[in-house]
Amino acid sequence: MEALGHLLQGFAAALSINYLLYAFAGCMLGTLIGLLPGLGPAAGTAILIPLTFSLDPTGAIIMLCAIYYGAMYGGTITSVLINVPGEAASVVTCIDGHQMARQGRAGSALGIAAIGSFVGGTLATVALVAVAMPLASLALKFGPAEFFALMVAGLCLVVGLAGNNMMAALLMTVIGLLLAMIGVDPVRGAPRFTFGVEELYDGIGFVPVVMGLFGVAELLLAAEKRQTHMVEAELKSWMPTAAECRQSVGAIGRGTVVGFVLGLIPGVGAIVPTFMAYVLEKRVSKTPERFGKGAIEGVASAETANNAYANASMVPLLALGIPSSPTIAVLMGAFIVNGITPGPFLFKEQPLLVWTVIASFFVGNVILLILNLPLVGLWAKLLKIPFSYMCAGVLIFCVIGAYGLKQNLFDVWIMLGFGILGYLLRKLDFPIAPAILALILGPMMEKSLRTTLEISGGSLAIFLDRPVALALLAVPLIVVGFVLFKPRSLAPLRESDVE
Amino acid sequence: MRQGRLIATGAMLAFCLFALWQSLLLSLTDRLGPGPGFFPFWLALIGAVLAVALLFTTFREPNDPADAEVRILPYGPGGLRWLAVVVLMAAVTIAMEFIGFRLAMLVFNATLVIALGERRWWVIAVFAVLGSFGVYYVFTTWLDVLLPTGSLGI
Repeated sequence: MEALGHLLQGFAAALSINYLLYAFAGCMLGTLIGLLPGLGPAAGTAILIPLTFSLDPTGAIIMLCAIYYGAMYGGTITSVLINVPGEAASVVTCIDGHQMARQGRAGSALGIAAIGSFVGGTLATVALVAVAMPLASLALKFGPAEFFALMVAGLCLVVGLAGNNMMAALLMTVIGLLLAMIGVDPVRGAPRFTFGVEELYDGIGFVPVVMGLFGVAELLLAAEKRQTHMVEAELKSWMPTAAECRQSVGAIGRGTVVGFVLGLIPGVGAIVPTFMAYVLEKRVSKTPERFGKGAIEGVASAETANNAYANASMVPLLALGIPSSPTIAVLMGAFIVNGITPGPFLFKEQPLLVWTVIASFFVGNVILLILNLPLVGLWAKLLKIPFSYMCAGVLIFCVIGAYGLKQNLFDVWIMLGFGILGYLLRKLDFPIAPAILALILGPMMEKSLRTTLEISGGSLAIFLDRPVALALLAVPLIVVGFVLFKPRSLAPLRESDVE
Repeated sequence: MRQGRLIATGAMLAFCLFALWQSLLLSLTDRLGPGPGFFPFWLALIGAVLAVALLFTTFREPNDPADAEVRILPYGPGGLRWLAVVVLMAAVTIAMEFIGFRLAMLVFNATLVIALGERRWWVIAVFAVLGSFGVYYVFTTWLDVLLPTGSLGI
């Protein structure tokens, strides 16, 4: 009941004209950026951070969250119309979505995707309301030892998904943590690894790094390949028929459950729930042979799971302060830039902010539904923008984003450097996601560990006296054990899957 | 690919060893407990061990014939486009300090779209102006984001 009261207050704020406008603009821009092949939600959210510099913290977070789930839907449009997933999670949508487009049913595919996304996102947000506050209350009982163990477990889950590439993922995690050590020591205030460079005293900025590793690196890869796309499918209508809606009801329900449950687990990339929901739907179908040939349930299940996952992945961030994916790490960076530390204290110290943001998820889902059904034709036209203009436009945003935060050209150099580094790491198949998560969690991990050791007088035995911390520290061992001794039939997930 | 991974892992090993050396210059412990060098020291040590292990496993991997065809560094026409983006990004970062955001972006936008294949001069001109003076106006006036004006004050 307490949560409901807070939520109603959140709705009162989220429905103010300013916040409605921010959510609307976020959904529009997110969908637009999701349309651009190669630029996923992480890059899209990072690139559009400068648009929120002048907003109040609540408005900025509302807009960035709207950009996130807008980008998730934007990827669907390219998957259906041109068989190119705008982001990794939309790969599964290509299977039946594009087949439907080839049969002249693109409108039905996009319509059911919008409806499924709305239902999945809304139900997942209802579940978020029910789960987040009790989880945050539980986390309030955590001491620094438990928080340190929680962060180690979160990072290890992300690393574990790198499969056979696990050693590289572990190394990338350590590199990310080491980069997070640059700047002034958070406990004693001593400068570390700054080499007298004044700009490094604040540490390496998270925004320029993610803009480089995601935005600039993606553009460099695209510039090399010269991506050009032609719209192949014609849109005749934008609503699925009543029969198609009936066919999709079960798929939407099952997709919501799969997406929400997997969204709660840090490290599970968006492609995992979409793929699992699709496979589940094929298994329960009486006509599985239709899958892959334009089955609307295939699109409905994947898209519903995708949006339910997106909303559920906010639970670990808001309740525990743990980002479960690179996009959520970017959002966490945006929280911190705005002076807000996500985690259990957020519910206690800034309840209006957190409940306004949660209420805006409901509002955003409605806006997405209203936007996407009638505007499908417009989005399809935007796919014709030539790559040269898209590339220049995105780079302008990157430069503004990197410079605008601290009015510092040094950060633009950082962004360019990490862009080239990201390009090379992608080509060499080194996973980037663990490094990003480590970079954002590094300072908090260090602070928690050092406080724990100060309490214990330097003894690591303190972790043995705390059962929750001990259980959480067992997660890395389980993950490593599973990856090393798993059955051969379980194929490892790729870096693109994690992102 | 294998050679590239070996070089990259070697570079990461060097980075970890450098961090290890630098963290030893900081105090690992003090009277209150762990010092500023404590966490980076252990991280760098773990990183160095992981890098050595990765070097070893990559070195022992059997040669994949498909690997020989994979090029890590950009080449050919795609490489030229890649280079154009990198060089122009570097140039605009340097130029912004002296001639400001608007002029630097005007030249950057026009040059980049030409380098990426656009030839219609009027489209290039409109895009370059909107992407520099237009963007500057929107960000500084509506969004209160400060952008560099350069030593000329433009």
